[in-house]
Parts: sequence; structure tokens; C-alpha cells
Amino acid sequence: MTPSRRTTIKWMMAAAALPLARELPVARAAGAQTPPPFRAIAPWPAALPPMPPAKGYGRDPTLMEPKVTWPLTLTKAQRATVDLLGDMILPADAQSPGAGALGVGAFIDEWISAPYPNQQKDRATILGGLAWLDDQAKLLHAKPFAGLTPPQRAALLDALSVEAPAAAMAQPVAFMDRLRGLFVLGFYSLPEGKADMGYIGDQPTPGPYPGPTPEALAHLDTLLKSLKLPPVTA
Amino acid sequence: MTPDNATAPADVIIVGSGAAGGMAAWSLTKAGLRCLMLEAGRDYDPQSEVNMFAADSDAPLRGSSTPDKPFGYFDATVDGGWEIDGEPFTNTEGTDFRWWRPRMLGGRTNHWGRHVPRWGPYDFKPFSRDGLGVDWPIAYDDVAPFYDRVEKIIGVNGGPIGLENHPDSPPDCLMPPPKPRVTELLIKAAAESVGIPVRPAHTAVLTRDMPDAVAPRQACFNATPCGRGCTIGAMFQTTTSFLPQAKATGRLTIVTDAMVARVLAGISGRATGVEYVDRRTGQRHQVRARAVVLAAGTGETTRLLLNSGEPGRGLANSSGELGRNLTDSTGASFAAFVPGLADRPRYNEDGISGQHIYIPFWDYERQKRGELDFARGYHFEIGGRFGIPPMSAMPRVWGPALKQAVRHASGATVSLTLRGEMIPNKDTYCEIDPIVKDRFGIPVLRFAFRWSRHEVNQVAHGRRSAMKVFEAMKGKLLFDPMIPPEKIMTAGGEIIHELGTARMGGDPKSSVVDSYGQAWDADNLVLMDGAIFASGAHKNPTLTILALALRASERLAERFKAGAIA
Repeated sequence: MTPSRRTTIKWMMAAAALPLARELPVARAAGAQTPPPFRAIAPWPAALPPMPPAKGYGRDPTLMEPKVTWPLTLTKAQRATVDLLGDMILPADAQSPGAGALGVGAFIDEWISAPYPNQQKDRATILGGLAWLDDQAKLLHAKPFAGLTPPQRAALLDALSVEAPAAAMAQPVAFMDRLRGLFVLGFYSLPEGKADMGYIGDQPTPGPYPGPTPEALAHLDTLLKSLKLPPVTA
Repeated sequence: MTPDNATAPADVIIVGSGAAGGMAAWSLTKAGLRCLMLEAGRDYDPQSEVNMFAADSDAPLRGSSTPDKPFGYFDATVDGGWEIDGEPFTNTEGTDFRWWRPRMLGGRTNHWGRHVPRWGPYDFKPFSRDGLGVDWPIAYDDVAPFYDRVEKIIGVNGGPIGLENHPDSPPDCLMPPPKPRVTELLIKAAAESVGIPVRPAHTAVLTRDMPDAVAPRQACFNATPCGRGCTIGAMFQTTTSFLPQAKATGRLTIVTDAMVARVLAGISGRATGVEYVDRRTGQRHQVRARAVVLAAGTGETTRLLLNSGEPGRGLANSSGELGRNLTDSTGASFAAFVPGLADRPRYNEDGISGQHIYIPFWDYERQKRGELDFARGYHFEIGGRFGIPPMSAMPRVWGPALKQAVRHASGATVSLTLRGEMIPNKDTYCEIDPIVKDRFGIPVLRFAFRWSRHEVNQVAHGRRSAMKVFEAMKGKLLFDPMIPPEKIMTAGGEIIHELGTARMGGDPKSSVVDSYGQAWDADNLVLMDGAIFASGAHKNPTLTILALALRASERLAERFKAGAIA
């Protein structure tokens, strides 16, 4: 590898990380940290062994036939926990099935098994988090996460979803943030997820673009009034 | 004896098949000249290779960006990008320059941004206005007739702007613009309430059919992302327009996988042809022609001139300006979650894929009075659609509450993306790396790059302006306004607007080419890409590249006709 290639990869990793680093979550209120509802906190697990080498799809894949070119690497037990978490994080409701039922767990596996820098970083976060969940479950209830009762699991997820976590919970909370983000991406990019959001699009509409519906424009008018902004025309 | 088109020396060799090369081929073949086009990348056919309709969920990683496909899996750029295996480039210590290199027929036009604002009078005479950089040897009025024609030739939609230094197109140049979306209308109301204008964008997407015997193009059907390429030809790309049209004349031969290594020059310094490497076999070939057009893209054009002629000096470089005056656009992005847009009524917001309206630079008056701490301008490109909201726009919740939060926040995030002018500085340039060569043995480019206070202060002004707009719509910022501006700017090259390294001018002592792209040192060597820009206005460069390439091509054809080219 020439120095320039190494440098370029480093930039790309930095660039890929930037949009996230620049974002400031709106809902994160500064202030007192929320202590977890348990005294003993399992330490973040030691670094995992690196993934066996795998190949990406390359710079010139056949776009008409998209294919995942790398093997999935989650163990059966890890995958089961991911599916369990998927149905907790995005459960079935009247509008759409749960993430587990839609197979989003397979997407998580595809993601953390991908031989690219961002995905490998996520791999460490996700696999570390899965191990931590089991460690913490054993610490509290002497059982792995999958063996807990639904209320016990829910209590753990609640502890991983506080707005201002205690320092010892920072890494587990970051794990849940990332897992939640991946489930949202994996779920809402599916046709069922788009339908859940009420997404309308991806359909050719020949002729001039119709623009917003009267209902959408009426909503905007009301909003402009509430913001004390004048009505607007194209 | 009739010469075989494929084997007889061409009148003109054109290096590159993107905007400038495509225009040159289209114009020169129409004028009766036989052209040989050499493209470093592979052959590419949008009709069979563009997967327009596949859902992102059909792609690996839901189509997310990876080092292999930095703009997403289905992005039209194939076989190239920020990195090309075996074809490195380098940076000087402390430089973080990125160089986007497609290796495909049609080059960057296959996936470009399509935002095609006209440059204005100030943009061609920047030195006269603020004493920085240099003036162009031509003025807006010289270029305007070519803008008129290019808008009609490539197909541009848009509306009137009516602002200082943002010239309007004459009637009949533009196709009608699409209606704005709700998010865009809200930004318009909010921005105009704080004195910031919002206008229809000029976009190289057809909103009316464009009939043609060879390459008919259809109006946009308001679906699918343009960056994937367009099988109906609604988005301008040379692979669905100029190249098939030029080929139909019978006077264009295209050779792909032909990496030009150097321009061959005779004793007089005139170009006699080029030497290229077949990227598949590694074999070297020399081809001759009466004139050589370089349209390989700013960096590659500069590299191959520096690798030609006199060792250590290059060809057409008696001024010493070759490789200097490199610029890119500044870039920064600002987003906000707007509670008032939450749960808004759904409708189809796909439109023509990109923005329908935008914010042109508006603060020329105050700048003239010396009230701004930076020279030159910037614009904002507008975003905000239904879709998956960013996690940062939602509370940290799980379960039914998360599903509710996604529905609530979908379509409630808006963004303003800044693109601004960079002023050339002496620490920003490219040169031949003294050691590193690519896999063909061709010496590679090394970049040096830094922003000046002008660009940093400009981005700070942009952030304050964006905050005013978001404030007026009671948006919650999704960025930290306290981060120093230099930390939120894109890296050099990242906006893929590199320009200026073989600038035009009126004086051979301080410029590489004349206003027709003709090298001062070799009168049958014509440069047509962004390398010849004397400055890099904040307005996206491709419309100007096309206009200058048309102007240069017609000039070259006239000179052939007049017998001025031996």
C-alpha cells in the first residue's frame, strides 16, 4: 500500500464520520446525568478478535444485479439476540410488522460483516454491546439477555435509552444508539417501512411535477401563520 | 483512395469524454472535422447499466456509501471515485486534498449535481472588484451568447432570478421549472423574512421532451435519483446526448481504456499527437492529429501537460503557471428539525430529484461597502423531504415510541448546503510527485491545499445566515454553532469543483492559455476543461465549462477552415 493510499483511506474514514460528528442531537438536554437503575455495571468487554478477511463488492459491481459479496458472521445466538432486540426496538403495531418479523436482523448481520471501515467500527460497537448485554443480564439476573423476562429486558433497554447517561453507561448507551440507528435504516428503507411512514414516491409521474397537494399547502399556510410569516407563492 | 476513418490520422484528438470533451466532439464533428476521442475509463452504456428503479433495500447495505461506492451503491460512477487501484495521487505534508476521478465514458456528467447557474459580470472580473486574484480576459457579455445556446442544447429548466450578478436567461432559453415542495416554500418564506432571497434553481434536467433524430431525450418523469444516471435522458449526460450525436456524424472514433500519458510535441513546440496506455493491456500507443484538445478534467489535463514537453517544466508552461491557482468550492451543511413540519400531510416530493429552488448570493451591496469580512460569494442549495429522519432529530426512545417518532419526524428536517467561492492562493497547487508513479509508470500528481481567511469567514457568515433562516421557522439546530468554522468545512477537492491550474489570460507571461483555451506555447493545443478558469466563482462550473468549450471548439473549427492549422 502506498502512503497516499493509506492517507486516502484515513480521509475517507474521517469524512464518513464527519456528518455524524457535526450533528447535535436536538433532544439531548444538557444537565444532570441519569444514573442507571442498578448499582453493578458490567465492564465493557475486551476488544473482539478481528473478522476473517472478506471482499467488498468492488468499485465496479454489476448494478443491475446487486449482490452482497461477503459472508454473514453473527453466531446463531448473536443473531437471535439481534432479532429479539429488533422486535423490541421496532415492534409490530397496527401500521407495520416488527423489525424481527421483517428480517431486519439479517441486515444488521450484513452490515457488521461488511469489510468496510465504518461497518467494521460498528461491528466492534454492536458485538461488544451484545456481549455487554449478556454480561449485565447475568450480573443482575444470572441469565443471559435472551433468558430474561420481558419486563427485565425492557428495564435494560430503558437504562440504555436515557438522555444523559452516567459515565459508566456511555459505551452501552452508544451501542444502543448505533443499533437503533441501524434498525431504523434497515426497517424504513423496506417497502413496509416506507408504507409505515406514509411515504409516497418512487413512481414515475409524467408531465409537469404536480407539486404539493391542496391539503399539504393548507398545512403550510397554517404553519406560516403560526410563525408570523407572510404567505408564500412559488 | 478514401482514408479509413478508424485508421487515418484524425483532424483532432480529444482527451476526455465528460462535459468539455463531449461538447468538443459534438461541435467539431458537426463542423466536419474528424475526431478521435480518448477516454481513460471504460466504455459505459446508461441504457443497460443504470438501475433506475431498484429500491435501496435491494442493494448491499441499503445502498449506503462505502469506499467502493462513495456516493452509494447505485451511483452512476463506476470503476473510479476517490481512489483508483494502482493510480494513486499524493499530498504534501499537512494537505488533505481529495480528487474524484471517474474512469468511465461520459466522465462526471453521468452522476453530476446538475445545478447550472450562469456566472455574472463580477465573476469574470473579480480582481477589478476586490483586487484579489486576476480578471478573466473575457467578460460576461462574451460568454452570454454561449450560455444562451448551451442552455438550449443541453436542456435546462429554471426561472428568472432578477438579482445583482445573477443574470437572467433570455426568453426561450429555459424550460419551465418544477413547482417548489412544501419544505422549499417554508424556507423561502423564512429566508425572505430575514432579507435572504430564494429563487428558482437552474437545473440541467428536461421538463419538456427534447426530440432528436439520433438521441431523443424525454422530459423528467419526476422519479428516481439523478445520481444513478438516467435511461430516458432527462438529466444531461454526454453518454445520452453529445456522444451518440457526434458518433452519428461518422466522424467520431472513441477509444476507451485509453489513459493518455503525454502530449507529443514537435521541435517547434506544436502538438503532434498523444501517447496513451491501454489500461487493459498496458501497451503504449502513439496517435497523431493536426490539433489536440485536452478535456481530461482539471487535474488530469494539468498532469499530462506537466508530464509532457521539457522534463521538470512540462509543455505549454513558459509562464510557470501550470498547476498553480488551484481552487475548489467551499462546502458546509446545516440542518434543522422543524417541529411545525412534523406529521405534515404526505404527498409525492420526488420532483426532479434535486432542489427546485435555491438561495443565490445576495450580500453584494454590503460587501461593496466593506461591511463583510470576506470577498466573493456563496449560495445555499436547499434540502428537506419525506424519508427516514436523521436519528439526531428524534428522542432517544425505543419500542412503539420510536415508531411514532419516525412517523412524526419524517419530512420535518430541512437543510441548507453551502457552496462558496475560493480565491486562489500561493499555497494551493498541484505538481508532479518526484517519486510516485502509477501502475503504468506515469508520474502522479501531488496536491498542496489550504483555505484562506476569506473562505473561513465566508463559511462563518453562511452559518449565521442559515441560523437566521432556521430561527425564523422555529427550527432546532442539528449542528453545533460553536464549532470553529474551519472545522465544519469540507476538505479541498471534496466538492469536486477543482479549477484553475492552466488559467486563461491576456498575457502569455501570467497565463497558460488564451480566452479560447489555446495554449500560448502551442497554437494547435487547446484546453477546454476547468483547468482554464481564471477564477472559480461560487456558482457551479459545468455550465461555464460547456459554454467555453463550445466557444473554443467553434474557434478551432474556424481556424481549421481558414487553414491556420497545418
